[in-house]
Amino acid sequence: MNIQDQGEVKIETETDIAVARRAVRDLASKMGFGITETARIVTAVSELGRNVHKYAGSGVMQWHALHSGENTGLELRFEDHGPGIADVNEALREGYSTGGGLGMGLPGAKRLMDQMDIQSTLGRGTTVTVRKWRRL
Amino acid sequence: MNTNEAISVVRVRNVLLVTMPADPDDSTITDLQARTLDAMSSQDVRGLVLDLSRVEILDSYFARTVSETAQMVSLMGGNTIIAGMRPSVAITATELGVTLGRTRTVMTVDRALDLAGQAPPRGKLQR
Repeated sequence: MNIQDQGEVKIETETDIAVARRAVRDLASKMGFGITETARIVTAVSELGRNVHKYAGSGVMQWHALHSGENTGLELRFEDHGPGIADVNEALREGYSTGGGLGMGLPGAKRLMDQMDIQSTLGRGTTVTVRKWRRL
Repeated sequence: MNTNEAISVVRVRNVLLVTMPADPDDSTITDLQARTLDAMSSQDVRGLVLDLSRVEILDSYFARTVSETAQMVSLMGGNTIIAGMRPSVAITATELGVTLGRTRTVMTVDRALDLAGQAPPRGKLQR
């Protein structure tokens, strides 16, 4: 089966978090990620997608298939135009939350993925990019 | 509505058996709490068995709702037993950092039904 190299899911309602999870689950299993790796990726999507909805109201998840030599991977970018994060290091600390949550969204998603990058400007928005490489 | 996403709530002997779908959205998870507590109060049951054997991911929102529901059931005088969590879900939830509080967990629904139907551990013996 052919796999598209990129796509996006708009996150505007709570239901869209589940839509994003389903899209990424299909994608990850088509790309050959195992059951546990797929569960890790889909759980990270749920946490990061919920952050977009909770803090910014809406945003978008873009995905790209990555190819580097023999390796393949999946990159997911969550972009919003919400309030931004004042202190990214603080937001990555365990148990830190300004949204009434458990404060495990960002640090938890970071642990579940191989790489995470956060770009945020106060008043402009936040972009969180995560990657997962397929183990051969 | 996708029937795959619905919660099933049935009474088995003196226990409420609640089965969660594979990938519930937020409103389905919220529904879990309301329907479970309603059924606990309207039916004469000793406890709740939450069957997670179909569940494919347990994120922080889902885990918090499960743990809060168990706490509420406990306040109402019932036992909650969680059954059938898949290995991939247990691994991922642990790495994410979620816990289910002190809720008891077992591997199969059979075992859970036995335990949930028993009198609470510190309760007085009834004749």
